[in-house]
Amino acid sequence: MISLTNVSKTFPNGIDVLFNINLHIGKEEFVFIVGPSGAGKTTLMKLLYREESPSAGKVVVDRVNVAELDKNQVPYLRRNIGVVFQDYKLLPRRTVYENVAFALRVTGAVRSTVRRKVMQSLELVGLLRRANSFPDELSGGEKQRACIARAIVNNPPILIADEPTGNLDPTTSRDILQLLDKINKRKTTVLMATHNKSIVDDMKRRVVALEAGRIVRDQMLGGYDV
Amino acid sequence: MFSNLEFFIVEAFRSFRRGAIMTLVAIGTISVSLVIFGMFLLLIINMGNIVSTISSKMDITAYVEKDISLESAGALQLELSKIPGVEKVDFVSRTEAWRQFKEDFGSRLTLDELVLSNPLPHSFAVAVRNPDLLPSIAKHISKIELVDEVRYSGKLIDQVKSLVDAVRVGGAALIILISFATLLIVVNTVRLTVLAREDDIYIMKLVGATNTFVKWPFIIEGVMIGVIGGFVSFMVAKFAYDAIIMRVSHALPFVPVVSDPRLLGFVYLSMVAGGMAVGMLGAYISVSKVLKAEGE
Ligand SMILES: Nc1ncnc2c1ncn2[C@@H]1O[C@H](COP(=O)(O)OP(=O)(O)O)[C@@H](O)[C@H]1O
Ligand SMILES: [Mg+2]
Repeated sequence: MISLTNVSKTFPNGIDVLFNINLHIGKEEFVFIVGPSGAGKTTLMKLLYREESPSAGKVVVDRVNVAELDKNQVPYLRRNIGVVFQDYKLLPRRTVYENVAFALRVTGAVRSTVRRKVMQSLELVGLLRRANSFPDELSGGEKQRACIARAIVNNPPILIADEPTGNLDPTTSRDILQLLDKINKRKTTVLMATHNKSIVDDMKRRVVALEAGRIVRDQMLGGYDV
Repeated sequence: MFSNLEFFIVEAFRSFRRGAIMTLVAIGTISVSLVIFGMFLLLIINMGNIVSTISSKMDITAYVEKDISLESAGALQLELSKIPGVEKVDFVSRTEAWRQFKEDFGSRLTLDELVLSNPLPHSFAVAVRNPDLLPSIAKHISKIELVDEVRYSGKLIDQVKSLVDAVRVGGAALIILISFATLLIVVNTVRLTVLAREDDIYIMKLVGATNTFVKWPFIIEGVMIGVIGGFVSFMVAKFAYDAIIMRVSHALPFVPVVSDPRLLGFVYLSMVAGGMAVGMLGAYISVSKVLKAEGE
């Protein structure tokens, strides 16, 4: 599903962030990317939906060679990848419903389809009750649920979550992880960056550890530490 | 596409309402710029009008030999009117000319006491289609046998002609300059409304919106802002111009003012259309810039 071969990334200012990354993730896998802040987790994920391009190597997502993708094809790549952020990135003057619907409308979906899918998505994340609330009326956990609802409303085969629990308390974090697990069981490949040790240890999933831009460990059913 | 259109319009109205202050600033800027543009256009049109009124009043006077008959005068009139470039030929009989002369100067002189018989010849007032043709037509007329003398004010014509040219060239240059200045101001104002929505654009791009899709709501909003701004400026300009016409025609009745409703309608329409164009262009340029900055 996701395949990085000999991928390196140097930013234009000369900073080397990723060195010769080789990573292959199969369909419907659940993978943690762990590592200290600055290790390159976010950059690695951005390569997948072409917010950044690799300086060297090959990035393939769902059989598409991402780095060589024509610029005007990038939107169609992104419709296959849901993205969840640590800071949610919800639009503040839109309700939860509108935020989620927005992601569908920009793909040109018709109103009736939008309504049905948004409702399904909100129900899945358990946020139907809050559909008409604005983001600043929500708790952190609810905001993250809204963000997840927006990421999956288009039914993407891949979900990328960049430190989704970074701003949440342990109990809420656990709820969010259960939600991501549920989404994974609905046949979605999930890739999650985190440095939350207890969550990683609890879940017993594949763990890829990054340190200073290099993969130092790739372990099935792993924990945060060796 | 139809359901997308609905989305574009809803989004445009939403942002229009949401950025109320920014929207008002943009409309105000466009209005002020277009009022300046429109009033300047009217000024240029009026200067052109004054100049062409002056030149249309200039004609050639052809004095004929003193004792020709009315029949040959008639034949001569026909001949003159057939010269290419001649618009109109009026016969001024010597009696009429003498009466006019006495009317003009009679209050100061008792002419009949000094001059016993009418000393003036018959003459023709020849109006030409284009003041440029005056010298050549005058020369042509002077060669006709029965014509005694030809007069026209050559120096004045040259001056008027260079004034016409200056108004044309300078006016066109200034209009272009003002158009650019207006566009620049509008682009920068509309850019503020676009920048206020950079987060929206980022999210739209992230969830897979194409650039075209992102642009439409902004373009529609730009058109709305531009049309409203153009309409406001049209009202202001019409009000101001009507007031000016009234004052001028009252205080300086001999100055010709343009009041042709079709010409004025064209000017006002061009202001509204101009507002729409700069609003649209401003939005397009701004949103393209933001998209370019975000696309790697
Ligand atoms: N756009 C950028 N330009 C230059 N350097 C960057 C850019 N983005 C990230 N970096 C650098 O790349 C390194 C890795 O960043 P990041 O991928 O965000 O790490 P992580 O997500 O693991 O904390 C950091 O040293 C960061 O300063
Ligand atoms: Mg990061």
